[in-house]
Amino acid sequence: MSVHTPTAEKPLPDFDIVSTYRSILAGDTELTMPVAAIEALVEAIAHSSVSTVAETLALLEHHTAVLKASIANPISLSAGTDLFQRYLITTLNRPAALNLGPGDDFRAIRNHLLSNGRLFVERAKQSREKIASFGKHFIRDGATVLTNGGSRVVGALLRRAAESSTMRFRVVYVLSDSKSSDLKEGDQIVADLRAHNVPVATIPDSAVAYSLGEVDMVIVGAEGVVENGGIISRLGTYQMGLLAKSKGKPFYVVAESHKFVRLYPLSQFDLPIEQKVLEFRVADDTKGAASKASEDEGIADMNGTKAKCSGLNADDAVDFTPPDLISGIITESGVLTPSAVSEELIKIWF
Amino acid sequence: MAQGIAPLAPGLTSFLKSLKTTPADPSVEHLISLLKRRQIRNSRPCAIATTALMLRVVGEFKGRDAAKLVERIRQVGRRLTAAQPREVVVGNIVRRVLGLVREVLDDNTGGDSHAGSDAGHHSPAQHDSMTRPTLSSSISTFSPLRHAAAEPMDASMTSDMSDSSEMSRRPPLLTSHTSYAPTSAAPLVNSLFGLFSQPEDSNASTPTGATSPDGKTANSLNLERLADLSRSTNIDLKSEVMDGIRELQDELEQSDEQIAGVALEHIHSNEIILTHTASTTVQKFLLSAAKKRKFTVVHAETYPHDNTATHGILLTGRKRETRLDEDEDPWKPLTATGIPVYVIPDSHVFAIMSRVNKVILATHTVLANGGLVAAAGAHMIAKAAKEHQTPVVVLSGVYKLSPVYPFDIDELIEYGDAGRVVPYEDGEFVDKVDVEHPLYDYVPADLVNLYITNLGGHAPSYLYRIVADHYRTEDITL
Repeated sequence: MSVHTPTAEKPLPDFDIVSTYRSILAGDTELTMPVAAIEALVEAIAHSSVSTVAETLALLEHHTAVLKASIANPISLSAGTDLFQRYLITTLNRPAALNLGPGDDFRAIRNHLLSNGRLFVERAKQSREKIASFGKHFIRDGATVLTNGGSRVVGALLRRAAESSTMRFRVVYVLSDSKSSDLKEGDQIVADLRAHNVPVATIPDSAVAYSLGEVDMVIVGAEGVVENGGIISRLGTYQMGLLAKSKGKPFYVVAESHKFVRLYPLSQFDLPIEQKVLEFRVADDTKGAASKASEDEGIADMNGTKAKCSGLNADDAVDFTPPDLISGIITESGVLTPSAVSEELIKIWF
Repeated sequence: MAQGIAPLAPGLTSFLKSLKTTPADPSVEHLISLLKRRQIRNSRPCAIATTALMLRVVGEFKGRDAAKLVERIRQVGRRLTAAQPREVVVGNIVRRVLGLVREVLDDNTGGDSHAGSDAGHHSPAQHDSMTRPTLSSSISTFSPLRHAAAEPMDASMTSDMSDSSEMSRRPPLLTSHTSYAPTSAAPLVNSLFGLFSQPEDSNASTPTGATSPDGKTANSLNLERLADLSRSTNIDLKSEVMDGIRELQDELEQSDEQIAGVALEHIHSNEIILTHTASTTVQKFLLSAAKKRKFTVVHAETYPHDNTATHGILLTGRKRETRLDEDEDPWKPLTATGIPVYVIPDSHVFAIMSRVNKVILATHTVLANGGLVAAAGAHMIAKAAKEHQTPVVVLSGVYKLSPVYPFDIDELIEYGDAGRVVPYEDGEFVDKVDVEHPLYDYVPADLVNLYITNLGGHAPSYLYRIVADHYRTEDITL
């Protein structure tokens, strides 16, 4: 991680936000991207010597930009950085909220942030447990649940439901044969559930429609929940939503509220990321494009500090599930309808 | 118990009469037995009975300890809901009353000068009660906050930029948050900022709709807080709560009229309106439109459980089942106002739907996700309307709106006397065939186009907001 982007050197050449972020993420497998981003930003403030609000915000903005540029899919991450930024702005504007005098407000807030760094992580994990504790009520005795991906919240929810001995339910788990990172998590959840005597069937993406007749409800995780109440999630979620809708099965999303992100995509191709899913080719340029793709992939995987990552390959790609397919979003603050998401976001932005 | 005054059949009227002379505890037993025997049924009678009982319970409550009052109401509420869990309205009313207690406390602990601010507070609410009883408070604080009531700091944050009506509504919070914060340990952030809040506040917002494992501890924390608050202030908690309950009674009384008030906006000349079951709300709505407009009503009779009442309401303006002693004022039936009414069996609904301009449904309970529980046949009607792209309008008082989330739809459906489908005298038939008689249907939210409550018209996806405005999160699990 020695290569810096040109802009990174200006304020603090000794602090590398990207490597901090990556090490935080690697150090705790339970951590989600937005929380890791917040962690990294707190660390950045700790390493800096800023003393005014404006300086802090500028520093934050700079680091956020660097971080976003270095990650192929910064949507989930930006939920965390945005939330952090809004939090700072609102608390700095109202020092009384922390019971502080007008004089020491900035330092106190800084200290509050620095001393509670680990607390945010704990809080995020707590919220996952909280979701699991009342999300499990959605799973009824005798139900069959369809889920996909490697969402840790969904895993926590299913595990919690499995631990209650009064409930018998079955799980149909969509595991794609791709080599994406959440496959491992998915395998782990399947193994855990089976250890709890929950019958689990694993199916490929292509068998979703076939299996849906046996399924009572669909529960999926999300990388980000966007402003119109839709979700951004692993590729294949959108088709599950469409199929569930056409079969009249309830489609629930489980997501912590720190994944709410201020985006308003109208279609799949509105997402502010580049995905290598649709690649049209003719016979002639197959070779060139293929070699270029593998090269890009190598860079994305090996060299994260490269200023601009080229798109996501198909294994890590995401899609957008529009709100009309979603029956409810289970967050730690309650079960929301998709239209409630914009309200939550408006609360912190305006 | 029931006094031997008159040969009254046990029911709402006899209960209300006996309540005047009976102390609270036997009255609770009385209502429980009436609920269990189904001698009080349907949303409105249950709501009226529960409110009257709550008034009595609060009235007889001794002492000024708010925590004990809350606990007492909860305990009565738990017993009532256990007696008849499908009459969700009972639980709704209990939660509203609990909310009232908390609101009175919140208002009064706002600042040191609470007496002055409280007087200024209460009188506008009383004024409002002519049009919008009880709701006035929650509606005027229409800030974009889900837990505005539960997390007072939110209010102070948004009121910086929100309109003047909110400023006038919640002045104590804005002026006094320095004194407020230490007493109540109020969470300083709203739900999205939950991540950054202090650890003690982590269980301040209990999750909606379910019994969380930490729900108990949160409750006990809340209670301790309430106890502290009530000791430190000398407010007349009881009388304020009783005032609030009386406003709630007004609301129950007036909700039909308020819903009927917007009828002309929804029913136009020469329309064909389809409705079902004997609902006073729907009948008053149609009658109010019939004063000015000519339209046609097609009435599905909902055989077998509601057909006699339906016929009665069309012919005489009152349900045949209802006894004369129920002093509900009778009104002219639709037919007497010159509106052509066609009664059809439920099986004809799909056939006639292509000619219908609007479907108006009555409801038993409205759930937090925008779905509703209504008399059996409603799902079929809504589905047929969807097929023909006919708008479906649901009329419901806010008191029917429940914070319950339909985790299991089957639990909400009640089954009635199968003898009304096939009489038991038909021994051979009954012997060989299983007969079921569901009384209610669950209608999913996406089949409904509009809800009209006494607050106005709402999209189904907006109902969660009204739920959040009317019920405190800490009361959702009774």
